Amino acid sequence: MSDSPLLEIRDLWVTYWQRSGLTLRRRPFHAVKGATLSIAPGETLGLVGESGSGKSSIANAVLGLVPAASGSIRFGDAELSAMKTRYPAAARRQIQAVFQDPFSSLNPSMTVGDIVAEPLRVHTGMSREERRARAAELLKLVSLSEEHLGRHPHQFSGGQRQRVAIAAALALQPRLIVLDEPASALDVSTQNQIINLLYERRDALGIAYLLIAHDLALVHHISDRIAVMYLGHIVEQGPAGRVYSAPAHPYTRALLEAVPLLDPARQRARRAARKAAPAVEAPRDAVSGCPYSNRCPSVMARCRSAMPAAFPVEGGGTASCFLAEDRGRARPAGEPASLAS
Amino acid sequence: MSVQSASASDRGARSGSRRRASAQAVTVAAVAVLSLLVIAAVAAPWIAPYDPLHQSLGAALQGPSTAHWLGTDDLGRDVLSRLVYGCRIAVIAAAEATSIAVVLGVPLGLFVGYRGGWWDWAVMRLVEAVVSIPGIMVAIVIIAILGTGLHRAMIALGILFSTSFLRLARGVVLTEREEVYVKLARVVGASDRRILLRHIFPNIAPPLIVQVTLTVGAVLLAEAGLSFIGLGVQPPDASWGTMLNTAASYMELNWFLAIPPGIAIVATVLSINLLGDVIRDSIGRGVAVGVKPTTPVARFEAAAPASPESAAPPPRRDDDVLRIEGLQVVVSAKEGGEVPVITDLSLAIARGETLGLVGESGSGKTLTGLSILGLIGAGGRSTHGTITLNGTELRALTERQREQVRGNAVAMVFQDPTTSLNPAFTVGNQIAEVLRAKKGLSRKAAWARTIELIDRVGIPRPAERARAYPHELSGGMAQRVAIARALSCNPALLIADEPTTALDVTVQQEILDLFRDLQDEFGMAILFVTHDLAVAADICDRIAVMYAGEIVEVAPVDTLFATPRHPYTRGLLSAMPHASDRDPPLPTIRGTVPRPGSWPRGCRFSDRCGFRTDACGQRVPLTGTGRLVRCLRAGDPELEAGR
Repeated sequence: MSDSPLLEIRDLWVTYWQRSGLTLRRRPFHAVKGATLSIAPGETLGLVGESGSGKSSIANAVLGLVPAASGSIRFGDAELSAMKTRYPAAARRQIQAVFQDPFSSLNPSMTVGDIVAEPLRVHTGMSREERRARAAELLKLVSLSEEHLGRHPHQFSGGQRQRVAIAAALALQPRLIVLDEPASALDVSTQNQIINLLYERRDALGIAYLLIAHDLALVHHISDRIAVMYLGHIVEQGPAGRVYSAPAHPYTRALLEAVPLLDPARQRARRAARKAAPAVEAPRDAVSGCPYSNRCPSVMARCRSAMPAAFPVEGGGTASCFLAEDRGRARPAGEPASLAS
Repeated sequence: MSVQSASASDRGARSGSRRRASAQAVTVAAVAVLSLLVIAAVAAPWIAPYDPLHQSLGAALQGPSTAHWLGTDDLGRDVLSRLVYGCRIAVIAAAEATSIAVVLGVPLGLFVGYRGGWWDWAVMRLVEAVVSIPGIMVAIVIIAILGTGLHRAMIALGILFSTSFLRLARGVVLTEREEVYVKLARVVGASDRRILLRHIFPNIAPPLIVQVTLTVGAVLLAEAGLSFIGLGVQPPDASWGTMLNTAASYMELNWFLAIPPGIAIVATVLSINLLGDVIRDSIGRGVAVGVKPTTPVARFEAAAPASPESAAPPPRRDDDVLRIEGLQVVVSAKEGGEVPVITDLSLAIARGETLGLVGESGSGKTLTGLSILGLIGAGGRSTHGTITLNGTELRALTERQREQVRGNAVAMVFQDPTTSLNPAFTVGNQIAEVLRAKKGLSRKAAWARTIELIDRVGIPRPAERARAYPHELSGGMAQRVAIARALSCNPALLIADEPTTALDVTVQQEILDLFRDLQDEFGMAILFVTHDLAVAADICDRIAVMYAGEIVEVAPVDTLFATPRHPYTRGLLSAMPHASDRDPPLPTIRGTVPRPGSWPRGCRFSDRCGFRTDACGQRVPLTGTGRLVRCLRAGDPELEAGR
């Protein structure tokens, strides 16, 4: 990891206030509970978790769409969390986003050319012609063509719309793009086309990605590092290959094992194994101690009372699990687990 | 639009076109009335036969005559002339009050909607207070402050009607500002003003147009009302309201006086409201698929014949629950005519068997499921083939008989459990209702069975959960309820359309296991529609791969994954994320699924296929025994080597 991270999130809490029933009292709902993450320049961090895990809340906090309740978000030299949702133009230019739904992420009443040129219009003094030329250039970068400039979003397929969204995100040459499920609404083949495009652009332009997705299998192809979230906590993070092939947290393992395989025979074997040892049925609600303790197959007594810290894992990264701590202790001295990732 | 129903055999189509024709006549009439009004207003001095203010007391209160077509009023003024000049007042009134309402209401609505918080609260309470008092009272109060006269009355009405524009604009902002593109505009750093004007405002236009027409009608009525009670236009000026006022005073002497202004008001208000309806409908139609079912189907049948080379139907098995043979489905195209979306589709599912129907979006797999139920929807119909369920030909059934089949013999589970369950009823109620309607169970028996079913689909504390509303359940739990409802009548065939796509992977796994268990117990056949080949690998016994409206490959699950034979199946398999452990570029199939109507001639995959030959320009049949494939080069060594 480079010495000065591009984005550094420390102990971030994101809280929503919900009104309960007819009363005026509002209850806090903590979507993110003390997340710590960092992204180096040009690096891709995959942030994985199920719905409700808080991954999109981290994205929204980084983008300044929701305020951080506490903790810090540093981008370069700027402390973003102190600015609430009003970022200075310099920071705004450098952080862009692509969202999941290609059908509501483009304004139906604007042309594709206007959509792609909108960031230029807000941030640069370019003339109309210059903006148009740049928009045409950007469309070519995402394998669309100049003739698409005057069309409206409804004339495009899902994959093409996502290309338009990516072109708009690239317009200001940002240093970080937050990708919130950029391909999950698309068919597999189109999904791969989009992932390939993102990968290609990253290498050409040196952009860092915060890639948010629910599909670990897809994320590991394009991420340098992966962080796994569960109920607002980051339970594991580390190099993509290590997290994917040797997950240290039981939840990461469960997540990986739940992804259906293309091999019917192995799939049958898995089902038989599941039948033999049925999964623990438990509500996905917050519990005391480790948030996963009520579903964890290897739960121990102390998991129910204390929240495990992030313990280093062999092969890089950390896991917030007492098992990782035990494994770390069992390792012979002189072979420290590497924290560097 | 041409009405050429002579060749159409479809009765529904003909009555539909008649309805459209009459709607058109109404529109023309409304536009004519309104044009007349505007012309009269502009050209009043030239049209009106007399000066509307010219009195001639000797000829007062006359009935219609050749000199005075509509008679004269109490001061002997010509009623026709006053009516024509009244148009002028009506147009001025409508324009004035409506523009004041728009100019006042829309920006304020945009502002409070976007800003929210205290501003929103304060303004909305004020609006509610105004709206809760009868409008005419509010207008009278405002006039009491401003004084009487046409323009002051119209300012009063403008303020009054601005509340509806305010609410409209605020409503649009509240929905639009949650849209992803507004979120993106904020990420880009657009100012609030820019977001409001550039990103949100253009989307307000359609409802705004409708609201304007409604307001114009209301203003005309209100102006007449205010003038009638003497608060609007002041005598001797002619307005429809003051004319009615006069007529009321002389009701016993000349009842006819009330007729001309009365008809003018009714005709104008009716026309403007009708026009508003037409505009609203035409905006709505822009979203729906344009339907023009009067063109005969022959056009495409020539292009894509229900071909003689179509494959022999799947071999008959004793325990077949569902057999589809040679099914063809068409939908109406926007440009007119009908376009095939499913052609030459044959498949069979046996008792206790799960057939997976896989393919990308737009391949026609969902429509196949819906056509079994006879639920293709407006604009679509099946034209060829047979759908046989336990020996009954479903396409031959009447709508009533089909209703009996749905839910009883065939049941369906949809993708999104939160929208397929009705939010207004408890989940238990929704299952019990099916049992009572289809099985004729008593209330008590239905409830008991409901709780059994909820328990069976693996929901803890079933008696308690039966009383929950859908929004109180998680996505996985809601899908379990939807499955329980589908199973309530013990169907022979269950159609599951992407039942796990909206769920998290760990929940998906639980639901797939549930399907397996339930099939072991109930023995129903399952048609499992999914885009995810890995899910199909998990749940299916056999898999049919669909592409562009036809089946391109059918094989038992192990065979399909071990030796896929169609290039499309291979492309899909290699594109699956876990299929490759390498870095990007990830494998893709070039291009996209062609839309119905623009399928290539011959093999529909040919323009995306790496193994295309000249022969692929011909229609390719689905061939083979046991496993079927629609590819001329299946088994070709070059193609096999390309794996």
